Amino acid sequence: MKSTSELTDFYYKELYPSLEKLEKTRVEIVSKLQWYGGMGAVVFLLTAIWMGKNIGLFHPLSMAILVGFIAVGGFIYRSMTQDYAKDFKTKVINPLIGAIDPHLLYNPDFMISQYLFERSNLFPHSIDRYSGNDYVKGSIDGVPLEFSDIHAEYQTKDSKGRTQWHTLFRGLFLVAEFNKYFKAKTVILPDQAEKSFGTLIGGWLQSHNFSRDDLIRLDDPAFEKAFVVYGNDPIEAHYILSSSMMKRILEFQKKVSYPLYISFVQNHIHVGIGTKKDLFEAAIFTSLLDYKQAMEYINTLRYTIGIIEELKLNEKLWSKV
Amino acid sequence: MTLILIALGIITLIAILMYNSLIGKKNQVENIFASVDTVLKKRFDLIPNLVASVSQYMQHEKSTLEKVTELRAQAMRPNLSDEQKISLDAKLTSALGAITIAMEAYPDLKANENVMHLQRSLNEIEEQISAARRAYNQAVTDLNNAIEMFPTNMIAGWMNLQRRTVFEITVAERQNVDVKALFNR
Repeated sequence: MKSTSELTDFYYKELYPSLEKLEKTRVEIVSKLQWYGGMGAVVFLLTAIWMGKNIGLFHPLSMAILVGFIAVGGFIYRSMTQDYAKDFKTKVINPLIGAIDPHLLYNPDFMISQYLFERSNLFPHSIDRYSGNDYVKGSIDGVPLEFSDIHAEYQTKDSKGRTQWHTLFRGLFLVAEFNKYFKAKTVILPDQAEKSFGTLIGGWLQSHNFSRDDLIRLDDPAFEKAFVVYGNDPIEAHYILSSSMMKRILEFQKKVSYPLYISFVQNHIHVGIGTKKDLFEAAIFTSLLDYKQAMEYINTLRYTIGIIEELKLNEKLWSKV
Repeated sequence: MTLILIALGIITLIAILMYNSLIGKKNQVENIFASVDTVLKKRFDLIPNLVASVSQYMQHEKSTLEKVTELRAQAMRPNLSDEQKISLDAKLTSALGAITIAMEAYPDLKANENVMHLQRSLNEIEEQISAARRAYNQAVTDLNNAIEMFPTNMIAGWMNLQRRTVFEITVAERQNVDVKALFNR
């Protein structure tokens, strides 16, 4: 896999012609947006003054007009940026992924199947709305992997019967083949309870979590502090989480700085990185040539695809030839 | 009067919970030890094959090979206590480790497909044994903690629960492989 500096070179050299064109479009879009925005604000202000005089600002009709303004604004924004966003994905993200490894295929509109997401056992909750984009599939060093942006939500009804949506998980979700055979399920989650309530009470809460399998304690104190592990077979959990694997997961956690959810089910590793935002989207209000912006695209791709090397999933063990 | 009854009820309830958690921990230890036993047996099955295959090549390591065979015979005797099993396992692991390292010095051995297959199987089993040992040690630590810590220690004393021994990580396992030494042989 290419290094970050090689990829930065690729971004600024190979992609420069496309970036330049896209950047031009982006600047046009921004100036158009400013113009429309200004017009919209004036019209809105005039309407508000008229409404305030005639029907009152808190009249249902005023509310309806306000909602209408927001909807029209959103619609205009989307229709103006749609083509640009699409172009960005085909002309920048797609070649960038190809540069990282030619064995990877990219589809901007597809996502990891809900089946795989649920199989991971990471988020045991019913899902009412499942969406995603930026799907990448292929192999790194012979290890099959796939990942995409995922947004999984569930809904509840409050006492007045209104529907409320809650995010179960939003971020990158990756599935790759694991280099050991196993039958059991092992789930690794960020350690919330011990962090908020301390070892004694937090530990007690963790061992009485009824939505999960049994709590498994491991022999690496630093790992135990950062994560909590549940599973239905303590021996297999120790088999998967060898001392070196625990160290590598800790190292990886330090690099990504987002909450990390990892599970081992059916000979596969499932990794959720809770970024809480949609990644690989075209920047509108920052320049595409901006270094920070470029690094965000490159680093996100690199550390996601780098999981394979980082966790040494490409080292075939004797049992899996 | 009712207050005393309520207090007594609560104390009984807590005692029952502690008793049950101790039993759960004790059974967990025994459960995992059974699994450790299973993987150890897998290794016993592999040893005669390995010794037979390498003995014709490894003339200088005759004593080590004999030691492995003897340890295996000892470890397979019936009615061994858990402590005996644990100490025999440690000896067997270090003896097998010595053979694996010595094998590096015999190029003929490395060319032998059968031996290499045996060694791969042995490595895989060693990995499983290591996992089982670590899981067992964790379960034993949980139980030992409960036996010694207040307030569960009172009930544990009454139940006559004994501390268990953990598997010691052998010196060979703790040390990293010295690659330089391997090359200089």
